Amino acid sequence: MPDQVAGRRRRAAFFLALPSLVIFLGIGLVPLALIAVWSFWSFDPDTYWIKPAWSLASYAALLKSGREAVFLQTAGLAAVTATASTLLAVPAATAISLLSGPRRATLLVALFTIPFFTSGLVRAFAWRLVLGREGIINNVLVSLGIVNTPIEWLLFSDFAVVLGLVAAHLPLAIIPIVLVFARIEHSAIRASQDLGAGFWTMFSSIVLPLIMPGIVAGFLFVFVVAIGTSMEVQLLGGAGASSISIMINDVMRVVNFPLAFAIATVVVALLIAVIIVAYRMLRLSPMFEDRGP
Amino acid sequence: MTLYPAVTGRADGGRLLFAIITALGLAVIYAPTLYLLLASLNPGEQLGLVAPSQFSLTWYAALLDDRRLFAALEESVLVGLATAALATPIGLSAALAYRAMTRMRSIFFLLVLSAMFVPGTIEGLGISVILRLARVSPSWVTVTIGHLLWTLPFAIIVSLIGLSAVAPSTVAAARDLGAGALRAFIDVTLPLMRGSLVSSFVFAFLLSLNEHSRAYFLAGRQNTLPLYMFGAMNSGASPTIYAFSGVVLVVSFAALGLIFLGAARPQDGLPGVGLAGVRGPQAHET
Repeated sequence: MPDQVAGRRRRAAFFLALPSLVIFLGIGLVPLALIAVWSFWSFDPDTYWIKPAWSLASYAALLKSGREAVFLQTAGLAAVTATASTLLAVPAATAISLLSGPRRATLLVALFTIPFFTSGLVRAFAWRLVLGREGIINNVLVSLGIVNTPIEWLLFSDFAVVLGLVAAHLPLAIIPIVLVFARIEHSAIRASQDLGAGFWTMFSSIVLPLIMPGIVAGFLFVFVVAIGTSMEVQLLGGAGASSISIMINDVMRVVNFPLAFAIATVVVALLIAVIIVAYRMLRLSPMFEDRGP
Repeated sequence: MTLYPAVTGRADGGRLLFAIITALGLAVIYAPTLYLLLASLNPGEQLGLVAPSQFSLTWYAALLDDRRLFAALEESVLVGLATAALATPIGLSAALAYRAMTRMRSIFFLLVLSAMFVPGTIEGLGISVILRLARVSPSWVTVTIGHLLWTLPFAIIVSLIGLSAVAPSTVAAARDLGAGALRAFIDVTLPLMRGSLVSSFVFAFLLSLNEHSRAYFLAGRQNTLPLYMFGAMNSGASPTIYAFSGVVLVVSFAALGLIFLGAARPQDGLPGVGLAGVRGPQAHET
């Protein structure tokens, strides 16, 4: 009898999962696998497509003409963005989860989450108005006499790109920490205070170790998403600025399919490694499970 | 470790510092957008702020003559509605499946996560190649396919969080009273999840409406709104760009504001947005 119940349960789970599996596998995973295979094929000038002539040429091309520099540049930008986001996210998540009542916590979570669902394009573009030569920051600085001429490096610079990326992805760093906070026994925090610990002792010796999985998860989320960036670099970056995604678009414009596939394959392989390691380390899935009756 | 003694004043120092950093985070997120909104009300050709008495909707009125903008908007709304209409039920179904899973759970969760974190450019490239092989020509349908993959993980997570706010004892009670699994789902679970499903639909719609890097590979002859806007932003900014940026922002914020306000109603136990609901084991105790 229990076997029958378990069997029925498994069947139900399978049919309920089917539509999403078709999408995740059919238009998510299968194309990526094909791309990985095709990255070892060669360009066919007759059909403007690829032909099954095995070759490592596109991987060799990856290491040429400064392409590896774009990889490093993108990873560097993503790391700086993730670090800055984490430094803002830890205090913000603590303010939300420990220092606010339920109403204010809900409001703050909403305020930090809402922009994620608005236009990233418009939000990146808005920085041009703020940071430009004629932007509000330069206007204020010049009129106050703090600087004589507008600061040039505010816009079209790595600084502007990082600022745009942090503004775009900060929620991704905050939410995992807030989720972890929800699972902390507040009695541990109260006990430390009853025993005479000050705020910073309590924070560094009780709270920080407990929320560390959320901090690492948030850092990785921002890092991984920032690796795929193109918009912020195109709208806010300097003249020579590029990113992996922009490079893929450029390579596709000259229909060099195998090279585009090779770049994509390397990125996906690295990201999958990061996600698997993080998943193993952090056991992320319990964050979304229920907590009993 | 004990850099500071346990004095209330010092603790308040921490409170103040954290509040300042939180405010800084909010400022980084909201200040540029608010500035853009205000600047879009400047009737002059020159950017920048004007006194509120001089606010004008000149550039918004100019939008009404922009045929290509409306065509792009129409395309995006079509794609967004189709995406949301598909992602919401499929997301709910996947969330239910996830709860019934045992050993497959972690693999399924990894699948959801990876769909979320593979860069849009690469997903777009992959889907466009598959569609090319299947000889499907790019149109609003192909963009919808790409956006389904992009929005589905969010729809699943919103549904999962919504489901976790449905106390298993409520469903068990229905079953004890003789309801079949389907009846209990329709009469108990579904009404309790109404807020989550609405959130799921709106989130999927907005994510699709604002998506750029997948659409870049998948759009047909008709641009979607972000593609059109990106082109306009990079080719000598006319002030109408600020006006349609303003419209996009106001519409997005209004839709989300309504969702969050709806979710914050106490009798719903905050399941709607879920992320807000994470605070509340209280919700289960009622």
